[in-house]
Amino acid sequence: MMKVIALAGNPNVGKTTIFNALTGMRQHVGNWPGVTVEKKEGILEHRGERFLVVDLPGIYSLTAHSIDELVARDFLLKGSADVVVNVIDATALMRNLFLTMEILEMGLKNVIIALNKIDLAEKRGILINVKKMEEIFGVPVIPLNAKEGIGIDELKDKIVQMARGEVHASPIIPRYDPEVEREIRHIEEALRDTELAQNYNLRWLAVKLLQRDDGVIKLVLRHLGKDKLDEIMGHIAEVEERYKRAMDLIIASQKYEFIDDLMHRFVRYTHEQGETLSDQLDRFLTHPVYGILALFGVFYLLFKFVFAFGLPLQEMLDEAFSNFGEWLAPQIANETLRGLVVDGIIAGVGSVLSFFPLVFLLFLAMSILEDIGYMARAATVMERIMRKFGLPGKSFIPLVLAFGCNVPAVMATRTLDEERDRVITMLVNPLIPCSARLSVISFLAGAFFPGNQALVAVSIYAVAILLALLMAWVFSRFVVRGEESPFIIELPEYLVPSWKTVFLHSWERSKEFIKKAGTIILLGSVVIWYLSSYPVEIGSGGSYAERLGAFFEPYMRLMGLDWKAAVSLLFGIIAKENVISTYGVIYGSVDEIVNAMSPLQAYVLALVTTLYVPCIATIGAVRAESNWKWALFTVVYMIALASIVGILAWNVGVALGL
Amino acid sequence: MLMIVPLNVLRPGERGIVVNILGGPNARQRLVSMGLTPGATVQILEAHPMGPLIISVGGVRFAIGRGLASKVMVRKL
Repeated sequence: MMKVIALAGNPNVGKTTIFNALTGMRQHVGNWPGVTVEKKEGILEHRGERFLVVDLPGIYSLTAHSIDELVARDFLLKGSADVVVNVIDATALMRNLFLTMEILEMGLKNVIIALNKIDLAEKRGILINVKKMEEIFGVPVIPLNAKEGIGIDELKDKIVQMARGEVHASPIIPRYDPEVEREIRHIEEALRDTELAQNYNLRWLAVKLLQRDDGVIKLVLRHLGKDKLDEIMGHIAEVEERYKRAMDLIIASQKYEFIDDLMHRFVRYTHEQGETLSDQLDRFLTHPVYGILALFGVFYLLFKFVFAFGLPLQEMLDEAFSNFGEWLAPQIANETLRGLVVDGIIAGVGSVLSFFPLVFLLFLAMSILEDIGYMARAATVMERIMRKFGLPGKSFIPLVLAFGCNVPAVMATRTLDEERDRVITMLVNPLIPCSARLSVISFLAGAFFPGNQALVAVSIYAVAILLALLMAWVFSRFVVRGEESPFIIELPEYLVPSWKTVFLHSWERSKEFIKKAGTIILLGSVVIWYLSSYPVEIGSGGSYAERLGAFFEPYMRLMGLDWKAAVSLLFGIIAKENVISTYGVIYGSVDEIVNAMSPLQAYVLALVTTLYVPCIATIGAVRAESNWKWALFTVVYMIALASIVGILAWNVGVALGL
Repeated sequence: MLMIVPLNVLRPGERGIVVNILGGPNARQRLVSMGLTPGATVQILEAHPMGPLIISVGGVRFAIGRGLASKVMVRKL
């Protein structure tokens, strides 16, 4: 069994940079069992030993108020780690040491403190006596500047030493006022004779019980019974009465006081920090008016960058695959096998891979903005607006990404803190028209509304965006339950991105996309190939696809469309741009469409294409980020919505004599 | 004279010491773990009539919603 190293720390402290420096390219991203929290693991090799490094979610404390905190806490509590590396930010010691104290309070002895951003702290006049700090905390403290790779080797050495049991740590434990300590002792004594004493650190249990931690209350109830628990709770209420404050506040503020006292002994401040560049930038970037303008500017540039490089690459890959298929076709004698390989598998793999450049570039642009620190500002300026629709400001980012591609956009919902926000953002995400639907919208607008094409395209976008916001509001009210998350977000110092971190992150994410969405796309394209080639080739009216279309024809009539639209929309589920090319197959030429439909029909088709079932890659992403239930729900509600809008638009159009 | 007010009424540049946090345990824990705890000094950096406040606590900047800020009781300095 490989020994396990866990990395724990606040968000924005450089934990990922340290993780990358320890593991290099040998890493793997997955999920923690049962929850949608990203789990990163990697291998560290040092001095002939191999370790499994686990990056715990970035957290501010070990209460159990979010999934992230619960995941980290359970991992540490179970003693799953042989060494715990607590990464802290030297420029924000007070707050970072709060988590450190919570970790040490668990009674862990195998902790190393990685004191990151030590260079930045010095620049700001925060001088830390590391030797003294080690003495006070009773655990090794390694100063680092992880970005420049300074201190990494020392950290690795210390990890190896600690894993071998060569470091004798006697960690400090936070102490509270006598009155609180008396309660802690009282609870500890009550628990001493229970089974809990074998599995838990009693002092930690006592402190958590004082904080009225749900999990610990249940645990204690099981072992002590209701009467004893009620007695303890009564004591707590008395103390609260005297302090005129909730117990968890008393504990927290005394913990901070304890930290403050310690800090006086090893930190010195040489000069007062003036206004930083970050302060100046923020005055502009978080401003309710300029901030929003800047936000639009930033995302405009982002899409410009992604499309400028992504679209040509996508076309190139598309062409390469169809050329390969054409080359391969004559080499396969068996007709069925040829069809399956060329039109099913190669076309499927081709459409997966042709997504790759776009998805990778979107992730890259996102990671850069995240690493710079801009995403927190974007969330801040959008907070007020998004909240009106029942969503937090942060959910703006996945929704904007959807204009590029819904798949990375759905994957980006995992940056949201609350389950409720994640699900709602995921459900409405496919309503935002992606670049594939843009191609359908602009084709139909150009072919049927020459002169007014921009207006027509904009009207369809407007309908889609309004519906996305409306549905978010509806879901937040009636479908997805849960408290609205209180809004507080750290605005980290702006930083030059660490390219290694940014590239590794985007690469991992895009690989994940291929793995998760890949199989479902492949499967889908084989099904579509089958439907369009059996029992006879499509175009004759006898294929399964066309029969299916004919079956749906009465339904399509309600919105003024025919069986051809049904077939095209069916194929559009693989990739939305197929809607147009399928018409091409049925009519023999795309240009024929203009003669076969009225402008009103074309408008309805564009609307319905935008709103109906998401493409299968997106369905796959929704399933991967939540479950089958929500994926199915998305499909069903979108079909319903597209039908309502389609039928309404057709009938209003006819009534107006269009 | 002691002036205890909710955080959201302070103006840019003004500072206060947190004395209590109202509201449910969820919001409270969130604030506390980020350093907004009784005894901490908070400074308002930006406050626009619409939108979140930008504050500084323990050398770190945060954006905080007005609703949440109204639960943080401070003694104005």
